[in-house]
Amino acid sequence: MSYADLVAAATVGVARRPVLVTGLAGPAAAHAGVLDRDDPAVAVLDAAALLVSSHRAGVLPGTGMTPPAPADPDTVPELPASAADLLERASVAGPDLLADLLATAAASGYRAPAPMLPALLDAAVKHPALRQAVATVLGARGRWLARHRADWRNAIEAVAPDVLDDPAVWDTGNRPERHAYLTMQRGRDRQAARDLLAASWSEETGDDRANLLAVLAEGLGPADEEFLERALDDPKATVRAAAQAMLARLPGSAFSRRAAQRAVPFLRVEPGGPQYRLVVSLPGGVDGAALRDGVVTTPPSPAIGARTWLLTQLIAAAPLTEWVTRSGLDPQRLVSLPVAEHLTAAVHAGWRLATIRQASPAWAEALLTAGVVAEAARRPPAAWPRDQHVAAVLPPSARAALATALLTGQTNLRAGFATAFVCPGPWPQSLADPLIALLEEAFATGHWSGSPEGLLRAAATRLPATGPDDYATALARMAMFDACPPYWRVQLRRAARDLALRRAFGEEIR
Amino acid sequence: MLALAPDTSSQRAAAGLGGASPWSCWGASGDLVWGSCAGSGKDPYQVAVDLAGPAYRCSCPSRKFPCKHALGLLLNWADGRVPEQTEPAGYAAAWRASRSARLSAATAKTEPPQTATVKDAAAAARRSQQRAHRVAAGLAELQMWLCDQIRAGLSALPDTDRHQHAEQIAARMVDAQAPGVANALRRLSPIPVSGDGWPGRLLAGYAQLHLLARAYDHLGVLPPGLRAVVRSRVGFVVSREDVLASPPVSDRWLVLAVRDVDEPPIPARRIWLRGRDTGRFALLVLYAALGNFGGVTDATLTPGTELDADLHYYPGQPPLRAVIGSRRAKVATAAPPEAAGDVTTVLSSWAAALGQDPWLIEWPALLAGTPVQAGDRWHLADPSGAALPLLGLEPPWRLLAVSGGHPVTVAGEWSQGGLTALTVWHGDQAVPL
Repeated sequence: MSYADLVAAATVGVARRPVLVTGLAGPAAAHAGVLDRDDPAVAVLDAAALLVSSHRAGVLPGTGMTPPAPADPDTVPELPASAADLLERASVAGPDLLADLLATAAASGYRAPAPMLPALLDAAVKHPALRQAVATVLGARGRWLARHRADWRNAIEAVAPDVLDDPAVWDTGNRPERHAYLTMQRGRDRQAARDLLAASWSEETGDDRANLLAVLAEGLGPADEEFLERALDDPKATVRAAAQAMLARLPGSAFSRRAAQRAVPFLRVEPGGPQYRLVVSLPGGVDGAALRDGVVTTPPSPAIGARTWLLTQLIAAAPLTEWVTRSGLDPQRLVSLPVAEHLTAAVHAGWRLATIRQASPAWAEALLTAGVVAEAARRPPAAWPRDQHVAAVLPPSARAALATALLTGQTNLRAGFATAFVCPGPWPQSLADPLIALLEEAFATGHWSGSPEGLLRAAATRLPATGPDDYATALARMAMFDACPPYWRVQLRRAARDLALRRAFGEEIR
Repeated sequence: MLALAPDTSSQRAAAGLGGASPWSCWGASGDLVWGSCAGSGKDPYQVAVDLAGPAYRCSCPSRKFPCKHALGLLLNWADGRVPEQTEPAGYAAAWRASRSARLSAATAKTEPPQTATVKDAAAAARRSQQRAHRVAAGLAELQMWLCDQIRAGLSALPDTDRHQHAEQIAARMVDAQAPGVANALRRLSPIPVSGDGWPGRLLAGYAQLHLLARAYDHLGVLPPGLRAVVRSRVGFVVSREDVLASPPVSDRWLVLAVRDVDEPPIPARRIWLRGRDTGRFALLVLYAALGNFGGVTDATLTPGTELDADLHYYPGQPPLRAVIGSRRAKVATAAPPEAAGDVTTVLSSWAAALGQDPWLIEWPALLAGTPVQAGDRWHLADPSGAALPLLGLEPPWRLLAVSGGHPVTVAGEWSQGGLTALTVWHGDQAVPL
């Protein structure tokens, strides 16, 4: 009798269907003599006890399992255990801090310890902002591990695709692989990359077209104009937007000339005596060609009139060099000119949009230094790009200098903080010191417009964590000011803790 | 009154017996109420209720507790239909006498220890005699219950209590002072709702309890090691003092793995050790009496540390569970274990251990292997290609990360279903999984 027979008998019930338990299977057979002969229920239990014991003891191992191909050996050392403990604590504290420590580890020539890899890959899946930092510390082991799970693999490939230098990738690769291949080609030979894309253009999906077209932004030049001009007629809106954005950055393009012609009639500089002024008139409407070039006629807020918005749109599309050339004034001067008819916000909004589109550092600096335009306060971001987006146009190396100038000059503190916010860490002492002084003043008096949360989060990962000045102590001290509101205290203590952790981490691995 | 019912169908059924018609020979005296109720059986059921408990007894075969007859009797008593009597019926009086004996035994157990005198020793011997009888009677009852299940058929379990079908017999085993059996019954109680193949798993559970009860019947003729195993599985506790009085095994004990088990009634922590010189395994079991391990010194042991100390094993075979006696040095971080085995070592030591204790559930495993995925399941394959299935809800990502496709030293618990990997050595570092 097998165990299955016994289970069948027990399931039905020996009272309902009597059984005779004889002859057991396997090694238990030798002990069948001990089975109870009088009561079939006892006999079933006896026999089951024998078979269960022999099954339990007779477990056979699995066979024929092929281990996976092992990971390539790593050349970079793992973080020492003491630093790994700090990394573990940082991963609980939040993604910003973790990203900072991972970057420090990579810069010092370490990779993440193997036991931490699953948690780091999970974090990369959850926080796209962490992916780059995680990818740099994976090492051969981490990349090997990431290939075992689709979500891990996708998160890492999105920032660090394995680029195969093989033309076949272009024909058979997946989306990130093809994107990486085209990017590599673009770096090597701009024209060849554009030709490659042009050849398969009609077969790409809309999303792929938008995604791949953006690759041309690298090394953009007049030779790309014709291809981009054709993309303005693409059925997919995201493709058209990508083409418009790139053409706007080509000052001599037909696209830019068309935009200039549309805007110039409505904004001119009038040399009225010693004081120049900007004379503005409102456009009545636009033609189909303007719509094709990306002019949006619907205001993003009902508080903005349709014609005022159209003025902003036309200025936003026109090349900024046009105003400098026509007036002979530099951006600094231009943004300080009075605007007639209470249209300062409309004109400046156009310039801010144009500054971002055309990535003009000179205009970004001029606009941020110019100060506040009162009427702009209630505009939505689409009609008034925020200071930090304007500041992001500056090359990273120039942001600290501008932020320092704005904060020490105290003319436009808000723009100063916004510029510091986009300034990569570690901040130089020349920026950190005035920033700490201003924070100290704000928390001592309890006056701060808005929430300091974003700035404190940035400060926690970008204030220098090495060197003589201990900014963690400075932040912790501010949390004890009587006038400091409780919610800010929490933020300050958190920033101080993060900063202290960064300092400790840096000391562990140096 | 109806709030005492285990479920709403019992309430309805009891309400049906709330009239006087099925009842005969009933009465109430003091806290005791009794009566005979005509049911579907040949003889009327004999029902008794002790209002002081309240406690119930009924000769009906219902698995519910209290049954509809006890509830119906109470309804009648509450409505004033049950007449006062001077003397209770024979069966009710006998039941109350045995109940009060049991209650006083339980009270005696909690009395503070007194200076050992000859009289106390005699009392202790008498108590232990009493307990032995009580356990024997309880296990006899268990055997009958098991046989009843097999006779009626596992498929005949009523739908209403499939998820807790053995709770009542488990409670009886608590009364019979066999807590080990009671816990085993509670573990198998929800098996009928555990999905495909449950009759096979349930019969296996029954068979092992049956084997235990039969072994207890022959306790006197068993060899001492096996006798200790049976007593411990039934739930006889050996005091820590008695264990510490046994000969010590001194060694440097490496902490292989730590596992927290959140199993009722008390959360426990299992700490697996291995002697550097003797190569012997040992298990410390700690209980979080207050819900955490604060104040339990041994609970701070972590994998990869080593303890130079005397260990005392509990009686039983194979020797496994132990307590720490005198310590010779502070706990310190130690080198990885030497001589990790392979799949064959684990399985053959498991088979040998089952030969000594057929009720064994988990067994220490220390082996070198590589995590391998086969279909949906993960395995740990040793260099010879033999593999053990890995248990766990999640794929073993951390183990895989440390392995990188190469064999690694893994410590864990082997049980019937597979290996629970608890620690992996990453170079010199023990990484908890």
